[in-house]
Amino acid sequence: MGAAVKPGPGQMGETVLDLQRLLTMANQIGDFFAPYPPERRAEGIRNHLRTYWDPRMRQDLLDYIASGGDGLVPQVLEGARLLVETEHDKKGYYGPPKA
Amino acid sequence: MPNPLKPERSVVTTCAYCGVGCGFKAETRAGRIVRMIPWKEGKANHGHSCIKGRFAYDYYNHPDRVRTPLIRRSIDEPWQEVDWDTALNHAAAEFRRIQSTYGTKSIGAVSSSRCTNEEIFLVQKLARAVFGNNNIDNCARICHSPTQFGLSATVGWGAASQHFDSILQADVIMVVGANPTEGHPVFGSLMKRRIRQGAKLIVIDPRRTETVKSAHCEATVHLPLRPGNNVAILNSLGHVIVRERLYNESFVRERCEWNEFELWMGLVGSDRYAPEVIGPVAGVAPEAIRAAARLYAGGPNSAIYYGLGVTEHSQGSTGVMCLGNLSLSCGMLGREGVGVNPLRGQGNVQGGSCLGSWPHVFSGYRFVTDPEVRGSFEQEWGVPLDAEPGLRLPNMFDAALTGHFRGMYIMGEDPVQSDPNRHHIVEAMRQMECVVLQDLFLNETSNYAHVFLPGSSSLEKEGTFTSAERRVNRVRKVVEPLAGYQDWEIVVRLMNTMGYPAQYAHAGEILDELARLSPAYKGLSFALLERIGSAQWPCDENAPEGTEVLHTKTFPRANGRGTFMLTEFVPTAERTNDRFPLLLTTGRILSQYNVGTQTRRTANSRWHPEDRLEINAADAQARGLRDGDWVTVTSRFGQTRLRAKLSTRVNPGIVYTTFHHATSKANAVTSDLSDWATNCPEYKVTAVEVARVDAAPMRAQAEAREDEVVEAVS
Repeated sequence: MGAAVKPGPGQMGETVLDLQRLLTMANQIGDFFAPYPPERRAEGIRNHLRTYWDPRMRQDLLDYIASGGDGLVPQVLEGARLLVETEHDKKGYYGPPKA
Repeated sequence: MPNPLKPERSVVTTCAYCGVGCGFKAETRAGRIVRMIPWKEGKANHGHSCIKGRFAYDYYNHPDRVRTPLIRRSIDEPWQEVDWDTALNHAAAEFRRIQSTYGTKSIGAVSSSRCTNEEIFLVQKLARAVFGNNNIDNCARICHSPTQFGLSATVGWGAASQHFDSILQADVIMVVGANPTEGHPVFGSLMKRRIRQGAKLIVIDPRRTETVKSAHCEATVHLPLRPGNNVAILNSLGHVIVRERLYNESFVRERCEWNEFELWMGLVGSDRYAPEVIGPVAGVAPEAIRAAARLYAGGPNSAIYYGLGVTEHSQGSTGVMCLGNLSLSCGMLGREGVGVNPLRGQGNVQGGSCLGSWPHVFSGYRFVTDPEVRGSFEQEWGVPLDAEPGLRLPNMFDAALTGHFRGMYIMGEDPVQSDPNRHHIVEAMRQMECVVLQDLFLNETSNYAHVFLPGSSSLEKEGTFTSAERRVNRVRKVVEPLAGYQDWEIVVRLMNTMGYPAQYAHAGEILDELARLSPAYKGLSFALLERIGSAQWPCDENAPEGTEVLHTKTFPRANGRGTFMLTEFVPTAERTNDRFPLLLTTGRILSQYNVGTQTRRTANSRWHPEDRLEINAADAQARGLRDGDWVTVTSRFGQTRLRAKLSTRVNPGIVYTTFHHATSKANAVTSDLSDWATNCPEYKVTAVEVARVDAAPMRAQAEAREDEVVEAVS
């Protein structure tokens, strides 16, 4: 798995957070939404990532998924797919957490 | 002979220690505070106080206070005393240089719950309007961020549903992961008063705390769960409520989303949450779980009070949701004597949450991603604002390690001492090119700072605090700021130096601005607080003098109904094994406050000269430990040294310490695991091993620099 390389002084790493940490966070979110019915599960994860994650973190996650997405729980992949599909959706969800 | 302590002047203000928000009369003579008298009109304390608010005020005048701004090119150089203009120009130039080299998002700001609402609001404005990004967070991130998340998901508002006096109507009091007799003593006394009148007490806590048994206080049921099992136990309470049909069906049908209730019943009602299944895993007798559930559901008035023992877990937000679910299912909301109430650690944690020091919401919990909300702020502030959430405090440190984050403004925080996984924080701090720290004292974090701006204590400034009961209290200037400026004035100067024109004649004008931009604070002003003393939000045209009890008719959600979240138990990744067989958990004591920056600089230190590691006699014997021995406490993340205290307050397999002294370095040991929703660190569960140190170290050695003492062990 392509863990982020720690950059030298003055350099920037490829991902904004250590990739392993980012994936752990994503799977933790996946674990929370696991008991919901499939559609709400994916939507809940999508909304959480959209509302609470810095866009660079979201992009790093999407890039990782594009390169295979090993080790991510299936519902995170679903949520991430919705994230891409609804990117230009004007009626985004901005409310408090829900599933 | 004239009395040298006879005061000449008296100013009513608010204590800055815990989240109770006691009113005090600060009395001065010749420009110095000579005593703090608990104020009878204070609506939280009614003339009571604890030994922190009453006696621990002298820190403000301690010789350690920094009175001149300091700068240095690199953290290896000594500090250089400079004037305010030089310090602010240096900070502003460095921030702008970093942004032009590494991008707009390469810097951020952190505010503190020890600062006023007005200051917290301004630091948010500094990040969003002047830095031009949403990299703004506050110390509630590491304590009660799951409260905002978990309560807003279920009951709509991330705040206490009650006022403190409401407990005098409670028949059953359930305390979860909190120790109010030590941590929130004035509220603890109110609780004891109700217990003396016959209220029943349920305590869910790994430790036999003072709340479980002390003078005038004894738990009817104590569930001494193993750390990390909150969600399992709370779901198991739900199981009993569902299976024994103890829930309040008419309340749920009238006030909540019934479909979600049915889903929730399906989850917690399943056999895997039966007390007979959960009890042995969590270390609690199944009958005790059943007894607690029956007591709580039976009420008639049952109130939940909880603390960091719920939030500081990898399932912290889920734990808070469990409490929301339980209170909704039994109809324990919307009147006096019931409710779900976070006990906030610091004087202004609630205000910190309300006033937009978050990367994803503006003041008033309104989302930066919402174009309409953002528009109202853009109009008020006259600049375009970032439409995307910024980095959270832990992610700022993470991003520093990958080179994406290079500069930070920190107001009244000491992350090197208080944030999780000290090694990681220190390494991140070393990567930053400009850290600007605004504080009273040089601290652990100032070792890694480039600019130090000497701030003011709450005794030296005007503003407001919002207590744990949503009460907005006035903070008044008792003495002149030692370094010349109130904290909000320093932020205003920094904003101007960075090229953003900002001007406020006094702190009340900031309150007016934040009231325009935060619906629940709409009706608040210095004038109102002068007139009525204090007010609990929401305070608006419908409630011109504030609101004591929330959710009386509807819940502040889109459809007005409370809802249930599915709270599956996911065990933490932090596990015990042969190398780390004990679970370490943490807490506080009465006479000291958090990392002790203030209280250690007062005579209160005599009551608590050092932090001790509480360990059960069986565990101590297996390791050849006697009471008072120096021990190493080692986790997968680091090591520290403490003296052991044999104690019956903890069960075998569990050890406990306070973290009031910098030398204890509890955060050298704690893990980097965090809450799934908010990244609130999992301080309350760390697998450790404890071993005797053969030669007791000199105290001086323990006080040596952390890089020498703390060494990674894995």
